[in-house]
Amino acid sequence: MSSASEPSILELNNLSFSYRKQDTLIKNMSFSVGQGEFIGLLGANGSGKSTILKLGSGILSPAQGTVLLWSKPLQAYHNKDRAKLISYLPQTLDIAVPFTVQELVGMGLYPYDIPPAMNVDSALELVGLQDKASAYLSDLSGGEKRRTFIAMTLVQGAGLLMLDEPLANLDIKYQIELVRLLKKLRDTKNISVIMALHDINIALQFSKVMLVKNGALLGTGKPEDILNEELLKDAFDVQVSIMRHSDGSSFIRYGDKN
Amino acid sequence: MKNMKLRIAFIILLPIIAFAISLVAGAKMINPFTLDEVSREILFSIRAPRSVVAILMGMALGASGAVLQGILKNPLADPYILGISSGASLAAAFGIIAGAAFVGTFTIPLLAFIGALATGIMVGIMGWQRGGLWPERILLAGVGLSFLFSAMLMLIMSISSDEGLRKAMLWIFGDLSMSEWPKVPYGLVFVAAGIFGSLFRAKALNALILGDEFAHSLGFSPRRERLILFISVGLLTAASVSLGGMIGFIGLLVPHIMRFFIGSDNRLLIPCSALGGGALLCIADVISKSVLPPMELPAGIVTAIIGSPYFLYLLRRKNVLSI
Repeated sequence: MSSASEPSILELNNLSFSYRKQDTLIKNMSFSVGQGEFIGLLGANGSGKSTILKLGSGILSPAQGTVLLWSKPLQAYHNKDRAKLISYLPQTLDIAVPFTVQELVGMGLYPYDIPPAMNVDSALELVGLQDKASAYLSDLSGGEKRRTFIAMTLVQGAGLLMLDEPLANLDIKYQIELVRLLKKLRDTKNISVIMALHDINIALQFSKVMLVKNGALLGTGKPEDILNEELLKDAFDVQVSIMRHSDGSSFIRYGDKN
Repeated sequence: MKNMKLRIAFIILLPIIAFAISLVAGAKMINPFTLDEVSREILFSIRAPRSVVAILMGMALGASGAVLQGILKNPLADPYILGISSGASLAAAFGIIAGAAFVGTFTIPLLAFIGALATGIMVGIMGWQRGGLWPERILLAGVGLSFLFSAMLMLIMSISSDEGLRKAMLWIFGDLSMSEWPKVPYGLVFVAAGIFGSLFRAKALNALILGDEFAHSLGFSPRRERLILFISVGLLTAASVSLGGMIGFIGLLVPHIMRFFIGSDNRLLIPCSALGGGALLCIADVISKSVLPPMELPAGIVTAIIGSPYFLYLLRRKNVLSI
């Protein structure tokens, strides 16, 4: 699926960052996102997952190190040009929003003077909300709200989506469907996705995972190499067991094998 | 939304209708088709400039209310919450009571404008932290300054003579009776600058309502956008206060009334709030002159008396209300 030979879209080199001077949150971190990669960012609460996504999307500026987007420093981009290449979706969406679904999804077009390929209607169809176009966001369920924001991100048409826990508050069906939809977009539009998530079993289906602890990478690589009992114990401080299914796929069970 | 174009067309017509009514109606009804010398004088030299000033002032209040509720993400925000009007009133009252007249009839509006700008800059400085303006800080700085200036205003008024006091009171509660043609171009420049400034950044304001991180992701610089919008609001408020003192209700509730009809997209909400505010103040001014002639009621009282019941009616009828 991915290999080092593919061009990298985003490159973070030796990043350090702290909210307060005394404690460094992100320590000397480097990684890159290749085209078409589907990366899961895993780690305990407070390990720095959200901060990594904010540094990568330019919301936060690193104290040290560089962020390169298509080999050019991120801050050298004009805001609107950057918005056509990266979109970021925050974790918390329970904000009071006075807009309708259609209006909100249409905001994805703001960086453009000439509208891109994806229009509001087709984005709403992709996330299954075409019937709710004129509903107010405040009248939607948590899952519908999240799908509306995903549709906005799709309309924005960026090649790299940085999603902070997009699966939170979604029931299992929509978690699976959202991952499937993003994979489909990866295959058809060659987008890359990096998402923070908590469900290790879902991360097992990704092309790459990054395991974070205390602002540093414990490991990065193919899920079957990284998501082992040892590293997961180190990252989350819980005992897990890797179970093998009869069809050859594996899954994680919390607790030990007995 | 259904009939959106019809609704917008209706809102555009509102200030035009209000203007027409304001020319004809008043303490004395004037038939515009049979004008004698006196009626022509009343119509063109007294009523027309006053109506234009009322519309400009109402537009400034409506538009700045809509923008401010967006940047502060607070449905209770109005142009007076930033203390800008208190600063303007303090400067104006000082001028009135001291009998200042260094630039003729422009003295008081000029003092008000200076007071408003100075307060706006102070609120901006106090709301500034870590390279940007923060909504909560702006709000608290505004409320704090507002209390301070109101107290100073009361102090000046409590130690001043009756004549100056009455004049200052009238001005503070919204007085359009001093509206003459020379005020119009001056008001027009600032109101137009403020409305275009905020309209030009309306998309950014929509994005800021979602939150700074969304605004960033959609290609805006949240801090720069907020600064531009804040300056636009400052200009609008300063212009409105110097045109006719303080008139409540419009800045707070006209944007909410408009949201019921055209939604919350600021590209529509800002111009529609301006048009609605202009129309409402123009009509309120006609009523304030006509009820008990020759006495004039403060226009701010009339806007609230006719506007509030309508707003409360809408609040019961429609099920949407958020910024």
